Amino acid sequence: MAKMNSKWVILCSAAIGAIYTAGYFTTDTLAAIQQPVPYSQVSGSSGNQGSKLDSQPAGSQVSVNVSQPTSKPASTKVKSKATTPTPAPTVKSKYINGTFYGAGNNRRGSVQVAVSIKNDKITGVEISDYRMRYSQDYIAGLPQEIIQNQSAKVHNVSGATYSTRAFRDAIQNALDQALNA
Amino acid sequence: MKVKQWIKTPKGYVILCMLAYVLLASAGTMDIKGVVNAGIAVSVSVAADMLGTSLVKKKRTPPYSAVITGLIVALILSTSASWIIVAATALLAIVPKYVFVNKKKAIFNPAALGLLLSSLLFQTGQSWWGAFGDLPAWSLIFPVIGGYLVTKRVNKFPLVFSFLGTYFVLLLIMGIFQFGDATDALRIPYINASLFFALFMLTDPPTSPAKYKDQIIFGILCAVAGAMVYAYFGGLIYLFVGLLAGNLYHYARTRPSYRTQLLTR
Repeated sequence: MAKMNSKWVILCSAAIGAIYTAGYFTTDTLAAIQQPVPYSQVSGSSGNQGSKLDSQPAGSQVSVNVSQPTSKPASTKVKSKATTPTPAPTVKSKYINGTFYGAGNNRRGSVQVAVSIKNDKITGVEISDYRMRYSQDYIAGLPQEIIQNQSAKVHNVSGATYSTRAFRDAIQNALDQALNA
Repeated sequence: MKVKQWIKTPKGYVILCMLAYVLLASAGTMDIKGVVNAGIAVSVSVAADMLGTSLVKKKRTPPYSAVITGLIVALILSTSASWIIVAATALLAIVPKYVFVNKKKAIFNPAALGLLLSSLLFQTGQSWWGAFGDLPAWSLIFPVIGGYLVTKRVNKFPLVFSFLGTYFVLLLIMGIFQFGDATDALRIPYINASLFFALFMLTDPPTSPAKYKDQIIFGILCAVAGAMVYAYFGGLIYLFVGLLAGNLYHYARTRPSYRTQLLTR
C-alpha cells in the first residue's frame, strides 16, 4: 500500500497542533482557576494552655474525622468559637494550638488538609479538599496514620503515589504554619 | 535475521524506542523501580506467550510482541506498583491474546486490555511515567519523535491523525462548553499519555486496520468512545476503553461472515 505523502503528514500534524493549541488556550482560564490556593493559618492560639481544640473563624465549622487516642467518637464536629489569645507559657511549645490548613499539589492534582493540634499533639486530620484523578479511597487511611505517627511521615500507598505525596506535602505545609516561631 | 535488519522491522523500532524510554525516564526521575518493573513485565509476558503458543500449537516465532506488551505495561503502570501487580497485569495482557482470536490474530490490543482489567480488578495506579509525564515538558519530544518513526514504519498515519484530530476537537468543544474536565486532558501528564497511546498503542498492526479508510474510521471511533468515557466518568481508563471499542469495530469488519463460516465447515 502506498504510504502517506510527507507533505500531508506535515500538514495534518500542523492542523492537529493548531486544534490542540486552541483547546489549550480555551481551557487556560479554567486551569488558572483550578490552581489550589495555599492556605494560611486559619485559626489558632499561641501557647499550649487555655485554648479549645479547634478555634475557627466565626460561622465556619470543621469536621474532624479522627480516632482520638482516648475512647472519643471517631467523628466529631466542633463548632466555631472565638478564642482569646492566652499568655505564653513558661515552656515554649513547638506548635500553636488550633486547626491549620495545608495544601499539596503535583501534576496529578491537589490535596488540601485541615490539621488540628493541641498541646503539641496532632489530634485531628481531615482531607478538606481532594482534586486528584485517583480515587480518594486510596488515601482514606492516611489521616489516621498521621495521628498515630504524630508526623507528616506516611507509608507510600501503592497505586496512589501522587496522592500520597500531595497529602504528605499538605500535612507538612499545615505543620509548618502551626510552628510556634 | 541480522541485528541491522531486525532494527528496521516495526517490532525492532518499537522495542528499541521503549527500551530507550525505560532508561531515559528512569534516569530523569532517578527511580530504578521502573527498570525492575520492566524486567518483571517482560519476563512474565514472554513466559506466558511461549506457554500460550505451545498450548494452541501455534508456529513458534521470537516473542517480540510479548516483549512490546510487557514494556508498554511497565511504562504505564506506576513505578510503585508491587511486583505481583506488575506480573498479574502482564498476565492479563497476554492471556486474552489466546482467548479472543480472529483469523489467528488477537482481537483486542493486549496491553490495553491487560491494563484495563488490572485497573478494574486491582485498582492499579497508572502513572504513564514512560511517556515522560513526570519530567519537564520538553521531554515530550522523545515519545513524539519515536512515535512518528514507528507510525511511519507501520504506515498508520491516517489512524493517528484521525484519532488525535477528533480527540482534540472534542476536548476543545468540552472546553468551550465547560463540560467534563478538558483542562487536565490537554496538559501534562495527560497529554503525554494521549500521545504515547496514539503513537504506540493504537498503531499495533495485528489489532488495527491496514486500509486507510478503515484506519480513519477506527481512529475517530476510538477518539469518540474515549472522550465520552472521559467526559462522563473521568478516571484514567478512557483511552483503553476507546481502543477496545475500535478493536471491536475492526473485528466486526474482518470476521468471517456467517455464510463463509457455513461454507468452510
